[in-house]
Amino acid sequence: MDLKSNSYTIEGEKAYFTLFPTLCKGCGLCMEKCPVKVIEWSDKLGVYGTPAVQVKEDSKCTGCKICELVCPDCAITITPKRKAK
Amino acid sequence: MEFDISMPKCWRRETKGHKFCPGCGHGLVLKALGLAIDELQIQDRVVFGCDIGCSLLAYDFFNVDTMQTHHGRTTPVITGIKRARPDRIGIAYMGDGGGYAIGSQHLVNAAARNERITAILVNNTVYGMTGGQMAPTTLPGMKTETSPYGREISQTGYPTQGPEMVAAITREGAYVARGTVGKLSQLKNMIKKALETQIAGTGFSFVEALSTCPTNWSTNAKDTWSFLEDEMTKYFKVGELKVPAKEE
Repeated sequence: MDLKSNSYTIEGEKAYFTLFPTLCKGCGLCMEKCPVKVIEWSDKLGVYGTPAVQVKEDSKCTGCKICELVCPDCAITITPKRKAK
Repeated sequence: MEFDISMPKCWRRETKGHKFCPGCGHGLVLKALGLAIDELQIQDRVVFGCDIGCSLLAYDFFNVDTMQTHHGRTTPVITGIKRARPDRIGIAYMGDGGGYAIGSQHLVNAAARNERITAILVNNTVYGMTGGQMAPTTLPGMKTETSPYGREISQTGYPTQGPEMVAAITREGAYVARGTVGKLSQLKNMIKKALETQIAGTGFSFVEALSTCPTNWSTNAKDTWSFLEDEMTKYFKVGELKVPAKEE
């Protein structure tokens, strides 16, 4: 299975939040570690049929990459906008 | 715009998602190890040995030579490989059951002989794969499958403090530290220093990583972090216990 299938990206003010549902197991560790608490459960499902995560719309995501670092499955990629350009 | 998966380069992509439970700390320890291997650019020289228990699920985790052994024997097997091929970098990866209980003699003797290998031990206070039984590292009063009323210190003794023990029996030149998956950058730097100690050939290097087991702790994400960062670090102090003296 392609690891990137069904991935979705949410554009924030400072960074792009990309989630790969083939990797997300829905453990929720990222939600607790987010310093600005902008990660919430998504309607999309992860690999075990549990909810995946997303950032809230119009969020205050600062692009700090803590969620990317604490994800045991590497399901999150944060791309700061200044780097993406 | 296309975004790539943010994964260490030495991870084997075709075996992901990996086999560990949701929220398991093994993924984080192996991420720290992967990042350390990437930074040192030693992927082609690493021999990775994993033990029985949950840690064996890492047998297809990396794009490096890997072997799986039983009951703490990963330490002597990696020792043998290192002696036969000193140019390789041997990493013995085990859990607290394999390292401190059933296979502790191997860890103790490898440390006493000051073998030039790196041992990484994942401490999550329970036997994960067999269903959450009491381990040598179970905290006092902690409830597990085999200690339903909480661990009774008067009967079962105190939890094993591995790095303190290894630091006491190793010679100068060894590297001993305890990290936690709650501070991943620090853990990565510890593993990197351990690998550098092995490359320099000054002695045994040992890193214990405090890890999570939401499945057997029966905790949600919030309680998982608080048990790891508040309860466990009270008894298991995070930090470097032994660092090789810097060359003048």
